[in-house]
Amino acid sequence: MPKVARLHGILWAIFSGGGFIAAFLLPILIYVVGIAYPLGLWPVTNGDPTSAILTHHHIGTLFLFVTVGGSLFHGIYRFQSTLTELGLARAKKALEAIGYLIIIVGVLATAIYLLQYSPGFFSLA
Amino acid sequence: MIREWTSFFVAVFSLIYIYELSLFASGAKDSALTLMRNPGIVAFNVLALLFTLYHAFTWFYLIGKVQPIKIGKTTSKPWQALLVNIALLLIISYAVIQILILR
Repeated sequence: MPKVARLHGILWAIFSGGGFIAAFLLPILIYVVGIAYPLGLWPVTNGDPTSAILTHHHIGTLFLFVTVGGSLFHGIYRFQSTLTELGLARAKKALEAIGYLIIIVGVLATAIYLLQYSPGFFSLA
Repeated sequence: MIREWTSFFVAVFSLIYIYELSLFASGAKDSALTLMRNPGIVAFNVLALLFTLYHAFTWFYLIGKVQPIKIGKTTSKPWQALLVNIALLLIISYAVIQILILR
């Protein structure tokens, strides 16, 4: 298999995984963090949900990383191809470059911020 | 075409939340919480939730259309895949709340 086709296949597999995450995990994160907390709805009655999630540091940190990173990859990858279909086909290469840059910086930043917040993530305790 | 635009809301919510995480990590927790309570952000989040659910439901339906399951002589219908996956979505969401928020 040519190298480019293999890379394309890998990116599509990650995109598909991101779609799965965006469908099953993102709705509850948006609800809890972005709607229930500011409006004081169930289940967020006191305290902020991000701190509550990160209290369970291994599973909570992993949940946030997978959900945010996967959704970012899926959203940007798809949005960039939507823009090319909407008449920006000439700028396809530039859009792809910007898209991959946002994805790489975003995923790395998510990992760094989560590790700063839970520095003991890699310890087994 | 609406389905394609759901990706915009998925991407922008992710970017806003990454910014909130950066505020948390740098110790500016109050700024992060103030940002979460901003009415404009809350309104965007409501739209983002609606579009994300639209993305999820149409995807569940498409799974049933593309990969029908054969059980004996009957083949599953797309709406059955939609219902099963909505049930799965509710179970996963409830599990996340129970394990990560309420416990």
